Amino acid sequence: MIGTPSPDAVDHLLVGGLAAAVVAPLVGATLATQPFMARWVRPVAVASSSTSLVAALVVAGAWRVAGGQPFSTGPALGGGQAVFVDGLSAALLPYAALIGTAVLLVAPRRALDAAAVKGTLLGLSATLALFATAHPFVLLGLWFLTAWPTWRSTRGTPGGRAAARVFAIYMSAALGCMTVGTCLLVADPPWERPGGMMGACGGWFVAVAVLIRKGIVPFHSWYPALFSGAPMSTALMATMPQVAAYTAVRLLVGHAEDVPHELEWMSALALCTAVYGAALALVQRHLRGFIGAFSMSQSALVLAGLSGQLPLELTGAFCVWISSGLAITGIGLVSWALESRAGDISLDRLEGRFWDAPALAAFFLLFGMAAIGLPGTLSFVADDLIVAGSLDVHLAAGFLVIASAVLCGIATMRSWFHVFGGPRAPESPNHAVLGRERLSFTVLLASLFVLGVWPEPLVQSLEDAAEQILHVPFDDHPRPHDPPVPHPAP
Amino acid sequence: MSAHDVIAGLVVVQLAAPLASLVAIGLPALLGRPCGERTTTRLVGTGFASGFVAAFAALVLLVARGFRPEVVHVATWFSVGHHESTIHLVADALSMPYVCFSSGLCWLVNAFAGKYLHREPGFGRFFVLLALFGTGMNLMVLADSIDILFAGWECLGISSALLIGFFHERAQAVRAALRAFTTYRICDTGILAASVMIHRAVGSGDFERLFDLDWPHGQCLVPVGTATVVSLLLVFASLGKTAQVPFSGWLPRAMEGPTPSSAIFYGALSIHAGAYVLLRCGPLLDQSPLASWILVGVGGWTALHASLVGRVQTDLKGVLAYASMTQASLILVEIGLGWRIIPLVHVVGHAVLRSLQILRSPSALHDRHELEAALGGHVGADRQWVVGRLPRSWQQLAYRVALDRGYEEMVVVTAVAGPILRLLGRLAALESRWIAWLAGESSGRRP
Repeated sequence: MIGTPSPDAVDHLLVGGLAAAVVAPLVGATLATQPFMARWVRPVAVASSSTSLVAALVVAGAWRVAGGQPFSTGPALGGGQAVFVDGLSAALLPYAALIGTAVLLVAPRRALDAAAVKGTLLGLSATLALFATAHPFVLLGLWFLTAWPTWRSTRGTPGGRAAARVFAIYMSAALGCMTVGTCLLVADPPWERPGGMMGACGGWFVAVAVLIRKGIVPFHSWYPALFSGAPMSTALMATMPQVAAYTAVRLLVGHAEDVPHELEWMSALALCTAVYGAALALVQRHLRGFIGAFSMSQSALVLAGLSGQLPLELTGAFCVWISSGLAITGIGLVSWALESRAGDISLDRLEGRFWDAPALAAFFLLFGMAAIGLPGTLSFVADDLIVAGSLDVHLAAGFLVIASAVLCGIATMRSWFHVFGGPRAPESPNHAVLGRERLSFTVLLASLFVLGVWPEPLVQSLEDAAEQILHVPFDDHPRPHDPPVPHPAP
Repeated sequence: MSAHDVIAGLVVVQLAAPLASLVAIGLPALLGRPCGERTTTRLVGTGFASGFVAAFAALVLLVARGFRPEVVHVATWFSVGHHESTIHLVADALSMPYVCFSSGLCWLVNAFAGKYLHREPGFGRFFVLLALFGTGMNLMVLADSIDILFAGWECLGISSALLIGFFHERAQAVRAALRAFTTYRICDTGILAASVMIHRAVGSGDFERLFDLDWPHGQCLVPVGTATVVSLLLVFASLGKTAQVPFSGWLPRAMEGPTPSSAIFYGALSIHAGAYVLLRCGPLLDQSPLASWILVGVGGWTALHASLVGRVQTDLKGVLAYASMTQASLILVEIGLGWRIIPLVHVVGHAVLRSLQILRSPSALHDRHELEAALGGHVGADRQWVVGRLPRSWQQLAYRVALDRGYEEMVVVTAVAGPILRLLGRLAALESRWIAWLAGESSGRRP
């Protein structure tokens, strides 16, 4: 008979899993840059990121076995501990590792030199570490570590210097605001001394840093620039994990009653960005421009939901985070695979790529549908939750979410038809999908569909996290029109 | 086992059968091992046939029980706090005949398309989309909540757009598909917003909380204000799928798709999806004279528009598209007038006739020659009874208006879509210039 594992054993498993998830990419990065590994760069990279994925799944499982309560250890400061795992971390760790693995599997051979692998794996390791902490200064340090490989990789790409410069301008501003804001928040935490001037300023600085790092209007210009100038792997690894959203959850959303104005402004700007990004996606002239604008819109939706004060909104935002991230990663990777065979893809004319790459057309379409809410995919669930959640609070917010979803749908189909529709290009070879590409696309798609058909475990886990973040016990969910639940004193 | 359990099982089969066929042919294709033609048609045909048989058996049971509606609680899909998304299906006097009719038609079209598309490069793709359409249709018809209905509605829109663009090498087909999808998507805001309003008003998307399911005698259970807002939103959603003015431009272009899909979508099922939703939510419309009169007004105007424009079409599919539009508009008028059984009969009758006409359209000349051979002379030309009696100048005016499709598209493109797209284009250009300036480039090009 198998007994219940002891709490200590589960804790050890959690810590061990976390360490493995963070260290495996570092080991991979070190190995991949060794001269004797020159021919084994991809296998090493994929093996290390897969190890990380398995370890992240172990962490998620152990967290669930431990009863789904937040796990924390290490030094605490400013309301957060150095190692912190709750329902959100348990979902985001495998999510980030899966994106990293998928990117490394699909990356074209010429884009996968040792330097690129090193940058991707270092970024992955920093992202995973960031998703497992709530300590303000650790978060700050990891902000820098996640941005650095993106800048290096973009700068080293032919024609990428301009994009790297734009990225550097915005990220410098974001890191500056984050540093000042974190210091002020830690010096005078508003959740300990409400009404303090320093704490209030700190909240605003962190909010501005989050807005910049998330690419929210009017701080969004680095987003399309990065997608246009950086390798797709860099752009996806920099944007899809959404480290700024995680920071917002830990530093602002968890103390919603003490920083209400910051959250209101963030929500309003994020909703505008969601609609604006979707509208811009409609008129893009290049496929990469579309992916940039589309992901800007979807990522803004996450922040809009995070700024809510109901578990329903927060759960919806977490679901959009994961569903849009997986789907846009899929779209980006399919586009990258197509670009590596056919060059730049324009949306000004009908490119007629269906004949050359029917399998890529099918995958692009499925990822596109999964991104815009095809029934049976996780994004359908996510849209349902976020629309219901935002409407419980503001009717106008719900209608903006709907407008964004509608525009994103039209933009996605426009891109698909423009890339794959049209007469066959003369003398174009048939571009078969490689085995590693098919594996990567299939796993991403399977995740979206399985979680869409059977979303309850994920939704429950995210709901638990939302309740813990907002300090709302399960049976005290506010119903629509109920007054806000008073938060217990910290 | 009670009668309820039997009906519940049959209802689940109606949904699961086409879904299983979709997975059975879609998954191997995705993994690079598509099924052969015969296997494909058999699998999809079996799905539709099973759905039809199950629906017919459930209908017989319902008739025996005096059409007492049965709600089938399949599962709770997901729940967050008090927000629940449930999979509730309903077997009643509206849904069971409709599933019989839709599954039966899909089954017939499946058999026809198996021969018609033989050795066509997109053979498997067509049947995947047909199975998706069949699944979406049954989901929409069986839905007992606005959430499930919307899921089915989405499947219809997506499969419809992709089938219009089936011959993707033709630029015209691609543009037509994009136009149809854009129209659908804009009108989908209506159903999404209605879903939101329903959740807000009654705390769930279940129809049982909105009205009695005793179709067609159901009573509205929500206040007049809520009923009016939800009805108006549902009417707006229906205008797109039913190709009503000013959203009618996509329908004649939709005939770019393969003939079998044109028959099932724009002659039979998809074109009536909006009418079905309004029939299902009839008790809400009964409480909302404003929505009903809008429906009568828009439907009547579109019927006039379509019958006039249809007379100057020079291709058979164009004529059939406008004929479909005319009948769908009349059905909306009937619904707006508060009738319930007559529109349902009208839907079924029109769908059967129009599908047959569209399926036979590729051999129309052959049919006409056979008819003339049998009659031993020419078949008489259509007489323009109404237009022929108008003054000459009026006839010329009507002809010009009809040739320009009532200037509907000119207004939509020049007054609405054009300015919006130009504005967005300018914004995108400004963005590019700003990024170029930040990047230290003088050319204004995006990095």
